[in-house]
Amino acid sequence: MIRWVPRSLQARMLLVSAIATLLALVLAGAVMAGLLGRFVTEGLDRRLDAQLLVLASVVDDEGRVDRARLTQRVAAFGSDPGWQWRIAGPDGAIGAADVPTPPAGPPTPPAPPAPPAPPGPHPVEAKAADGGALHARTITLATRRGDVTLTAAAPRAVIARPIEGALAPLLMALAGVAALLTGALLVQLRVALRPLRRLREQVAAIRTGARDRVDDDQPAELAPLASELNALTADNAAALTTARGSAANLAHALKTPVAALAIDLRDQPRLAATVARIDRTIRHHLARARAAAVNRRVATPLAPAAADIAAVIERLHDGPPLTIVREIADDLAVAVDAQDLDELLGNLLDNAAHHAASRIGVTARRDRRSVTLTIADDGPGIPAAARAQVLQKGTRLDERGDGHGFGLPIVAELAALYGGGITLAENAPHGLSVTLTLPAA
Amino acid sequence: MRILLVEDDRDLGPAIARALREENFAVDLASDGIDAAHLGETERFDAAVLDLGLPGRDGISVLKAWRDAHRDLPVLILTARDGWSDKVAGFKAGADDFLVKPFRVEELVMRLRALMRRAAGHAQALVACGPLSFDSQTGVFELDGLPLKLTAFEWRVLSQLMLHRNAVIERLDLLERVYEGDADVDSNSLEVIVGRLRKKIGATLIETVRGRGYRLVCPA
Repeated sequence: MIRWVPRSLQARMLLVSAIATLLALVLAGAVMAGLLGRFVTEGLDRRLDAQLLVLASVVDDEGRVDRARLTQRVAAFGSDPGWQWRIAGPDGAIGAADVPTPPAGPPTPPAPPAPPAPPGPHPVEAKAADGGALHARTITLATRRGDVTLTAAAPRAVIARPIEGALAPLLMALAGVAALLTGALLVQLRVALRPLRRLREQVAAIRTGARDRVDDDQPAELAPLASELNALTADNAAALTTARGSAANLAHALKTPVAALAIDLRDQPRLAATVARIDRTIRHHLARARAAAVNRRVATPLAPAAADIAAVIERLHDGPPLTIVREIADDLAVAVDAQDLDELLGNLLDNAAHHAASRIGVTARRDRRSVTLTIADDGPGIPAAARAQVLQKGTRLDERGDGHGFGLPIVAELAALYGGGITLAENAPHGLSVTLTLPAA
Repeated sequence: MRILLVEDDRDLGPAIARALREENFAVDLASDGIDAAHLGETERFDAAVLDLGLPGRDGISVLKAWRDAHRDLPVLILTARDGWSDKVAGFKAGADDFLVKPFRVEELVMRLRALMRRAAGHAQALVACGPLSFDSQTGVFELDGLPLKLTAFEWRVLSQLMLHRNAVIERLDLLERVYEGDADVDSNSLEVIVGRLRKKIGATLIETVRGRGYRLVCPA
């Protein structure tokens, strides 16, 4: 189906305004042309009526024409082509040979209810012998010997010519006015729609996490929209917090009795295995609940989060001394929820700490719209063939039994939820280098 | 060795307490945050096991209160909250270790022993004093290379003296770390315990410092 109304507000306003302007201009043009025509016609009528007066002055009461005076007076009419006159009376007709008789001219069948001739001159439309239209005025004089009809005519072109001449500059002027109005409208639209564009940019900034609400200082028409947007954003954030809170509460509520069971059943391997399965199920569904509540509308600074996690890893690490070297610019931030960033960093650093010989390097850099974080350890590394496998859920190359090694699939899954990813590579000369890509804030 | 266990769950709290007592520890159980904060600030413990989600007062705030009151006992957070953010918050509040529920009791005991050993300033698990040796990781005493059988009270007194060998342990300090808070303490009972210990490990190792307390004297 064809859309008659454009999607763009600007185009809609332009369209409506263009139609209105066009109609107004056509109307103005028509009215002005009409007025002009009337003025010209009136002028012409006055001139023709003056000629009729001259003609009438050479006809006496008997209906006879004073030829000598006629010749003398008619000379004053000038000799413009197409102008004609005629006197038709009881003695026959005098005048320009081609002055036509009025269309209803003689022989007139006796029409009993003949309309009374108007007392003054009245207009008659006629045709010249050469087919051109004539504008004529006629008057009928009653004499003792009968009626004398006087007619004076001019070509219609005399009326049309000045109108045509005036119409071109008039149209030009009107077109100029139309162009000016359209230009003014465009400027007006730009000015009027600017707050809308700014609001859109702010909403985009909320989505990327650069801000958490739009400005309340908006034009009167946008202020209600802005406050609704802010309320919506706040509701959304509250719902997220609630969802996460419920997940955490569920964890606490279930894990504690499971822990009690685990202690009571620790001497019964079969039941203990069942308890372990319950625990895994709880963890799995909690992870899913968390994932459903992913919040991308944030900007979490990377360096402090990495510093905190590194401190925890160093505290929890038992074994040979471990150095975690961090090179992260202070201004780097990612559009990842703070808790999720902690999970990503915690799992990666924990994994690295369990395999590193003595050193873990953490570096980060920004590439346009993403942040690339690299965590490299100097441990034994993972053979290229096995790397894809460790990212799969439930795979554990390192069967330590204490849950370590589960981290990489969790990281891969969480990073994917944020539109990022994880890749594994060799860290020369030995060790694993994990590259995590996250959306920049 | 006396441990403050803070756990509000009616099943889990007593279960952990039982398991820790089986390992000879004295255990005081607090089941809400307000009790926990009070106990930790007013009584002496060798370590605390602290749950985070507590009625009355959150575990993190309890821990901060202890640290603000300059209570530097090692604290192990035992919680269902398994996020790294919780770990960061726990360590920032002053925790020394972090264990997620559900857990293996052996793991909890091992970590508590390591915490208490490090708090006493020992980097190595094995602590020796003349013919006596103490594996702080397993809690086993040996005398001349043979396992030493001890009652819970004897173990508490001797492990305290052993971890602080050559230092005088105040009588009151020792009493507080041997008996649980609600125990009916007979003022002579400490002498009785020390007397039995001297019979088992020899009369000379434990020295009575008159008016103060006891000292484990290790021959150079």
